Amino acid sequence: MVDISLCVKRPSWLVDRKRMRMASNSQWLLLTAVLLYLTNQVNSQKKSTPHDLKCVTNNLKVWDCSWRALFGAGRAASYEVCIEKRSRTCYLLEKNTTIPPLLPGHYEITVHPLYEFGSSKSKFILNEKNISLIPETPEILNLSADFSTSTLHLKWNDKGSVFPHYSNVIWEIKVLHKKNMEIVKLVTYSTTLNGRDTIHHWNWTSDMPLECAIHYVGIRCYIDDPQFSGHKEWSDWSLLKNISLPPDSQTKVFPQDKVILAGSDITVCCVTQEKVLSAQIGSTHCPLIHLDGENVAIRIRNISASASSGTNVVFSVEDNIFGTVVFAGYPPDIPQKLNCETYDLKEIICTWNTGRPTSLEGPRSTSYTLFESFSGKYVRFNGDEVSANENYQLFFQILSNQEIHNFTLNAQNLLGQTESTLLVNITEKVHPRIPTSLKAKDINSTAVILSWHLPGNFTKVKLLCQIEINKTNSEHERNVTEGVESSNYLTTVDKLNPYTIYTFRIRCSTDPFWKWSKWSNEKQCLTTEAIPSKGPDIWREWSSDGRNLIIYWKPLPINEAYGKILSYNVSYSSDEETKSLSEIPDTQHRAELQLDKNDYIISVVAKNSAGSSPPSKIASMEIPNDDLKIEQALGMGNRILLTWNYDPNMTCDYVIKWCNSSQSGPCLMDWKKVPPNSTETVIESDQFRPGVRYNFSVYGCRNQGYQLLRSVIGYVEELAPAVAPNFTVEDTSADSILVKWEEIPVEELRGFLRGYLFYFEKGERDTSKIMGLEPGRFDTKVKNITDISQKTLRIADLQGRTSYHLVLRAYTGGGMGPERSMFVVTKENSEGLIIAILIPVAVAVIIGVVTSILCYRKREWIKETFYPDIPNPENCKALQFQKSVCEGNSALKTLEMNPCTPNNVEVLETRSVALKIEDTEIISPVAERPEDRSDAEPENHVVVSYCPPVIEEELANPGAEGGGASQVIYIDVQSMYQPQAKPEGELDSDPVGGAGYKPQMHLPVTSTVDDLDADDDLDKTAGYRPQANVNTWNLVSPDSPRSTDSNSEIVSFGSPCSINSRQFLIPPKDEDSPKSSGGGWSFTNFFQNKPND
Amino acid sequence: MHFRWNNPSPLPHLEAKIQQTHSLARLLTKYAEQLLQEYVQHQGDPFGLPGFSPPRLPVADLSDPAPGHAGLPVPERLRLDAAALAALPPLLDVVRRLQGELNPRALRLLRRLEDAARQVRALGAAVEAVLAALGPSRGPRPEPAAAAIAAATASAGVFRAKLLGFRVCGLYLEWVSRPGPAGAGGPA
Repeated sequence: MVDISLCVKRPSWLVDRKRMRMASNSQWLLLTAVLLYLTNQVNSQKKSTPHDLKCVTNNLKVWDCSWRALFGAGRAASYEVCIEKRSRTCYLLEKNTTIPPLLPGHYEITVHPLYEFGSSKSKFILNEKNISLIPETPEILNLSADFSTSTLHLKWNDKGSVFPHYSNVIWEIKVLHKKNMEIVKLVTYSTTLNGRDTIHHWNWTSDMPLECAIHYVGIRCYIDDPQFSGHKEWSDWSLLKNISLPPDSQTKVFPQDKVILAGSDITVCCVTQEKVLSAQIGSTHCPLIHLDGENVAIRIRNISASASSGTNVVFSVEDNIFGTVVFAGYPPDIPQKLNCETYDLKEIICTWNTGRPTSLEGPRSTSYTLFESFSGKYVRFNGDEVSANENYQLFFQILSNQEIHNFTLNAQNLLGQTESTLLVNITEKVHPRIPTSLKAKDINSTAVILSWHLPGNFTKVKLLCQIEINKTNSEHERNVTEGVESSNYLTTVDKLNPYTIYTFRIRCSTDPFWKWSKWSNEKQCLTTEAIPSKGPDIWREWSSDGRNLIIYWKPLPINEAYGKILSYNVSYSSDEETKSLSEIPDTQHRAELQLDKNDYIISVVAKNSAGSSPPSKIASMEIPNDDLKIEQALGMGNRILLTWNYDPNMTCDYVIKWCNSSQSGPCLMDWKKVPPNSTETVIESDQFRPGVRYNFSVYGCRNQGYQLLRSVIGYVEELAPAVAPNFTVEDTSADSILVKWEEIPVEELRGFLRGYLFYFEKGERDTSKIMGLEPGRFDTKVKNITDISQKTLRIADLQGRTSYHLVLRAYTGGGMGPERSMFVVTKENSEGLIIAILIPVAVAVIIGVVTSILCYRKREWIKETFYPDIPNPENCKALQFQKSVCEGNSALKTLEMNPCTPNNVEVLETRSVALKIEDTEIISPVAERPEDRSDAEPENHVVVSYCPPVIEEELANPGAEGGGASQVIYIDVQSMYQPQAKPEGELDSDPVGGAGYKPQMHLPVTSTVDDLDADDDLDKTAGYRPQANVNTWNLVSPDSPRSTDSNSEIVSFGSPCSINSRQFLIPPKDEDSPKSSGGGWSFTNFFQNKPND
Repeated sequence: MHFRWNNPSPLPHLEAKIQQTHSLARLLTKYAEQLLQEYVQHQGDPFGLPGFSPPRLPVADLSDPAPGHAGLPVPERLRLDAAALAALPPLLDVVRRLQGELNPRALRLLRRLEDAARQVRALGAAVEAVLAALGPSRGPRPEPAAAAIAAATASAGVFRAKLLGFRVCGLYLEWVSRPGPAGAGGPA
């Protein structure tokens, strides 16, 4: 509000500013004092005088002033208002009135109510600074919406005509939406007032589709007039205008088919009367944003680039779905590799790469426009025409006389546009098309005319065409530069070979070079025939009988025949005459002539359809050469190198002829001619085989006559001999053998013979290690015979009447051949035989004599050592039974064992169940008769324990004889309690005589047969007997068949180490007890028990 | 439910025609399944998701094959088949055109849509032939309003066009596979 103060000084009206500036300070001070005084006066009369003068302006043209007057306001509606600064101007005005704007400075305002008693004048000091500039409330002329772009268009009038001068205006616009008037946008917008009414526009694009909610717009302004020094204030907000939804009650989703930048955000809403249950973009569900009513929206942030068909956004209600498709993509990339060229100088084709895909297809895809700036013409390329291979190209028609083109390729889609430029001289960018209709027409045998068609107008440029001339296995290129007037072209290709198939193709470019066209289709052409360039390569050989001369020639190669050879003519001439053979067909390449011994010149001519070749001539006779050696040569693979010395006399050429040496008949396999200045050549032939000897003959030519210069035998590769040399023994003596062998045939030798290897060693035919005969063995002797002319060999220093194994094998550079062997026995050496007999006999006699003497002298020692006297048990007192007693008293059967008192007697008995041990007998096993044992039924096994001390005591004096003899007690277990001593007579009558030592063990007891044998042995070996017969140690297990032999219940097993002389006499504890089956080492086999008879 | 040709056929070739029609329908059923599968693959989610079953859009000139059709006399059913088969090709053409803009590179889908329209025409001709053999026809059939459908769909938005295509492909499958003389359900 404006501050108002009353003043006493009359303001002057229409006083210029200069005069005001001239007022002195003293006057101002006086005026201030007076003003204060008047203010006091006014306050005192406040209730009845106008006060609170306020002035505002909204257009700077007039000031709206008003004041308060409490009394008489109804009656005194008129006032006299006087404005005074230097002059005084009075107006008759209403209470609120307008006054013209005042110039800067203080003015005295006097307000005098008319027709009011008691009222007084009110005076105010008014200055522009006290004035408020409040623009008029702006008015929105129009508010419209573009729903497709969600854009609001606002239009209003700035009413600038009411302002006296230019001013800056700031507009503030607010956008609200929904029924609750949420401000979604508040922006300022600056314009200038130019003294005229101006319509302003403001557009705003909403993030949310405008269909989603009601949008309101309001506007106010602020005028920033630099010349106005008063207060400036915002105008009031205009009336809000809104954009309503389209009058469509159907449920819809907005925006529809929107194209947006990938990565940006978008709001999609569903305008519906039904409750939306869910919303999803693609397969992803999104939270709902509730708008007015049932309308909802979702906010999609950083959306990904869409597929071709777009991204589906779907809202689901109870029984329906609503959706839209969002196409998120990119603006077009800058067209890359823009290239413009022409195929025919009629049309320019520009190609480019699109760069990054936009992800927008069909009607949303990028469209391209090719603009040529010089001509101002352009062509368009619609993006939806893109073929599957994305071949982007545009054709631009060339204008006549325009070579330089400045192209701008503009790419545009709904998200943006880019461009690429290219300045090109089209005559330098000619890429001709493929030449077509290539034809070839022969002129002669060495030249053809090629014609082709090349579409386009190349008159302004230099055309360069390249012809590829392809002969069999060879290629040539020729560049043909031609100025052309039309599209049909001709050129001549010469220097061709007659009767040759050529393949032509052509491609073209222009100068300056840009690109070659593609090669045209191939065109094949056969040139016509010509006379053969040379006569055939000939040679001659005399037949083996020397009567006929055989002429050989080789078929002409195609590059010399110049056509199909139809026949050959052979003629021969001497000094006297010339004769010709009839025409020889082309398939035959030899002719035989019967010539006398005169020298003839043979001529051979080849003929084709074009004519005859120059004749090839050769003399029938050979120039002799006396100094000729046969040499050797080795090749490699299928080739062999031959050299010779340079001979200046040889003026024609050299001929190398070769043949298989083993062939019969004329030796000719092939020949080769080399130039006369050559001194070596490599002979190569697929017919060469390893291991085959070839004869090579090098001829020099002189006046059509040939002289043999070198004769060489050679192999391309040596092999080992295929056979062994045959050899025989020519002579044999007691200490030498003469061997003779034969040569190996050449075809079997398969290489140059390097020597023989001869092995020999002692050996019989059946026992000799024939196959193992090797030189490295110590008993094999080897002789290496390197003199291949040697055919015999005498082997000396052999032993007489000895069989020798002889082996002979040959070897070449290819290796060792097979061996052939033979056994030879040297003759007997009689002198040596005699000596060999006599010496051993003499030695034997001497040894016998010496041995006899020594034995005689040492006989006692020998006896003691090897055959000591063995004490005779018969002489043992322990066994001296009193015959008389025994004989007389049969009851006395117990052996007197005193002082031996058994402290323990164990008897192990094995007997048949059916048998009872009723008595025992002491019996020596050796005393058993075979016939007794033959009756032995199941035998009893008895283990007898006896008192060792007694025995030891008795045995303590083994050397005592007679009365001091030891007594060995044999106790039969079965008769231990009833000893049954045999009468001495029986003992004496024992076959073994009972003399000497009696073994405590009788081992061979297991079988009758063994017993019989053992008895025989016993008969033979009366005397000392070993106490153990290891043969009877039956190391068998109880389960072994032998251990269960039904013929013998004697089961003896265990360790033989337990053999000793101690015996246990085990009495049966129970006579009825079954016999022991034996469970361990049994000594019973030392005793042969008979069953109790 | 199978249709049985109860009355002995007066003409042997009529039975042959019916059999041929049925065989063709069976063949088209397989093609229709492939087309529907190919179609949803190119429309993006949620079209290809299991359980996606949008409401059945009403399609002009073409309704769903109703179960009540089974009780109708054979000639009447054939007439319904013929009408549906006559309405399908233009709709398939519309779908082909819309998909050509939407999926210009989905050549197989576009080719299948073209083939489907052609094959449905062939099946419709076969049904018409059978119908003609049974008796006089009822006169010319009104032209389908495919053009109007295309225009309406184009303005309704891409999503609507996708739904229409889905619906048309589904109807195609339903009509060629439904039981009946012209359907793959066999001579019922």
